[in-house]
Amino acid sequence: MSTIVYAARRVVTMNPNQPFATHVAVRDGRILGAGTLDSLRGWGKFDLDERFADKVILPGFVEGHSHAFEGGVWKFPYVGFFDRTSPDGKRSPGLKNIEEVVAALQAHEKTMPKDGSTLFAWGFDPIYFTGRRMNLGDLNKVSTSRPVIVLHSNFHVLNANTPVFAKAKITRHTNVHGIVKDEAGEPTGELQENTAKYLAYKAAGIDLSTLLSDEDATWGFARVAQLAGVTTATDLHNTLPDSTVDAYLRASGSADFPLRLLPAFAAIAMPPEEGIVRLKSLMKKNNERLRFGLVKIVTDGSIQGLSARMRWPGYYDGTPNGVWNIGPEEIDRYLLAYHRAGFQVHVHTNGDEASEVAIESVERALAAAPRWDHRHTLQHAQMADAGQFRRMKALGMCANLFANHLFYWGDIHYARTLGPERAERMDACGTALGVGVPFAIHCDAPVTPIGPLFTAWCAVNRLTASGRTLGEAEKISVADALRAITLGAAYTLKLDEELGSIDVGKRADFAILDDDPLAVPPEKLKDVPVWGTVLGGKVFQSPKS
Amino acid sequence: MIRWGARHSSGAIQGHEKTRHWSGAPSAMIPLTVIGGFLGAGKTTLLNRLLAGAVGRRFAVLVNDFGALDIDSRLVTEHGGDTIALANGCVCCTIGDSLIETLVRMAETPDRFDHIVVEASGVADPARIADLAVLEPRLMRDGVVVVVDAWDVRARADDRRIGDTVMRQIKAADLIVLNKVDIAEDVPGTRAWLATHTAAPVLEARRARVPLDLLFGLERHGADGGAPDETFRSWSYEWSEPVEREALLSMLRDAKDVLRAKGIVRFADALQTRSIVHMVGRRIDVSEDGPWTGTGSRLVMLAPKAVLGSLQRE
Repeated sequence: MSTIVYAARRVVTMNPNQPFATHVAVRDGRILGAGTLDSLRGWGKFDLDERFADKVILPGFVEGHSHAFEGGVWKFPYVGFFDRTSPDGKRSPGLKNIEEVVAALQAHEKTMPKDGSTLFAWGFDPIYFTGRRMNLGDLNKVSTSRPVIVLHSNFHVLNANTPVFAKAKITRHTNVHGIVKDEAGEPTGELQENTAKYLAYKAAGIDLSTLLSDEDATWGFARVAQLAGVTTATDLHNTLPDSTVDAYLRASGSADFPLRLLPAFAAIAMPPEEGIVRLKSLMKKNNERLRFGLVKIVTDGSIQGLSARMRWPGYYDGTPNGVWNIGPEEIDRYLLAYHRAGFQVHVHTNGDEASEVAIESVERALAAAPRWDHRHTLQHAQMADAGQFRRMKALGMCANLFANHLFYWGDIHYARTLGPERAERMDACGTALGVGVPFAIHCDAPVTPIGPLFTAWCAVNRLTASGRTLGEAEKISVADALRAITLGAAYTLKLDEELGSIDVGKRADFAILDDDPLAVPPEKLKDVPVWGTVLGGKVFQSPKS
Repeated sequence: MIRWGARHSSGAIQGHEKTRHWSGAPSAMIPLTVIGGFLGAGKTTLLNRLLAGAVGRRFAVLVNDFGALDIDSRLVTEHGGDTIALANGCVCCTIGDSLIETLVRMAETPDRFDHIVVEASGVADPARIADLAVLEPRLMRDGVVVVVDAWDVRARADDRRIGDTVMRQIKAADLIVLNKVDIAEDVPGTRAWLATHTAAPVLEARRARVPLDLLFGLERHGADGGAPDETFRSWSYEWSEPVEREALLSMLRDAKDVLRAKGIVRFADALQTRSIVHMVGRRIDVSEDGPWTGTGSRLVMLAPKAVLGSLQRE
């Protein structure tokens, strides 16, 4: 029963009784207390650890909406527009035009064995490029002997080279939706729909879902989370086949695994009566670092993918309304079944029509089966307006808002998808705070990089990539943003009594920062360096980039 | 040269044509039918009829959920988690994680089934699922059948949340089963409304009772040419001389009430090639199936009985 007291430049506790401290005491992986060294002496014998004496200790960050695929994609080269950090701490610089992407792929190609194996890259993000789209010719410059596939950052669209098209037998005569063709009717190299994409992967011999969710990928996800100060993260939509469950169990079984991983079971995977049985049996396998029990329902698509379900007047540029993944009546059926069984349900809603349907679905479930403290949570809720937040509050719902969208797609939303007025009030943290809806903010990694301080910076500054401020009135303070990435996110996962603040009895999960996020200028919040984490009292120092 | 005697061509109706080349033997290709339609329209009822009525053909039926299927447990020969095998040779599978993967896996075991039928989810666009059969060489796109609820389809189509989904499905159909006509009001009005949105032929049905061969192909009738049902008839043509491509296609385009056609044809512009002509509803597919080996060309059609009476060969 050894006790360690960590000295720090400052401990930011998120506990209003004692917001700040200089020392925190840890015993058996839990927080014995925070305060001054003198105030902690009464607990008896301890070892003083001063390695964090010049650091700032915060509760470990909680990422309420991410996907463990983030750990798997790093097996492949990243070719995105923005700089991004891999699990080993290396920084991949952003690529600013097609030529840079091609050059990076050519350089990578030279490192590969000459066996015709596939070159797969990810993160390609041409929306900030000016001029033409990438085409077959670009990727043929990388190789004409091996398949080359470049997945876009939205994970919906890909580009490939001629060997892929030839093997998949996709020609000008292939009349299938999602094969982009030029004015002369020839395929350009871009594929936009699942069916065509699947055949391209098959032709290239890539089984992406397996590659992205094995044990290595699970470790990669934990490490990339750790780099960002995250100690608890969700894998928020997984059909949880046995192979994935095994990978999660093996990885989390190691005391060196630096993350508490919370997979959310994909409700669509099976009929709810079977899913409930499956989930209950998975929960018996829970351990210190792996927690099954969340459920996720995906209702619509994405705003930038032009597949969000919007209320009138719909897309700003006149694009037809998006598509339902599960229709309104089925949402009711799934939600009610899991609600009755006592589960907390996370509902993906990007467009405001999807949010409306989900809110009404919760309302009906509560009428049919009254239940207290369900905390059903709208995930993204990017277009939710004040009225919808008021209804969420009245129904006891939470929201997890996609603050990173403001930066990564805010300009597109302003100009193309939502128009100025709705873009200004998207991801409405200020409204959620004012109305009193418990909320978190998130990254949706690998859609955007995991980094709660960056996400908090987005909610505080609401700056787009081009530097436009989106919605002065929806900005929140740094303190509120830090709460959203710790205790706020823990609340949306029903873990707030166990995690999310530095308070007696809670788990000793900390983010160790080189600087004080409350002392730096708000516009520098994203630049506060993360030294590493502490998980259940075990210290994890991150590699330096 | 052939033409429909009493028919006039309709400029509004255009068959969809495509050409595809494949190298495998035709027996390795499995026809794929997609059943679409909104929640509650009667897709499962139709599948229950298919499973109960399948004779001489082994269907693989992919559904989201076994629960709604009405399977007589005495006929189950094997129940293995996501698969149920029936005594009549049919197999039901749940779709699982990925419909595409499940379909491709099935296409890789062609000897087990004669025909694959997919039940699309209530909000899916069935045409997107059928696209797989265009891309995957071992599958042959047979058709998209959309079940429409005569009782409430027009109200559904007006619903601000689901109207566009319902309309997308109707526009995706090669054949429409207008179900529940026994309990619906103003069926002629609904038919007229449908006609303004789709050129697909409409079959009226009670409790999804429709001639299964109209929906699921001619394979059997191509072999024996018999009249399979009282409500529709099959009809066949044979030619010893090569056939003019455009004449045949325009004949099929004009044959508004012929719901299905299938032919193995030697076209005058492709004398060395075995061409397969396949029509479901208004959609016509022509594919090339290796070198010409037979003697004469042959085309089989199915149409409701009353219609064929007005057809004659010149």
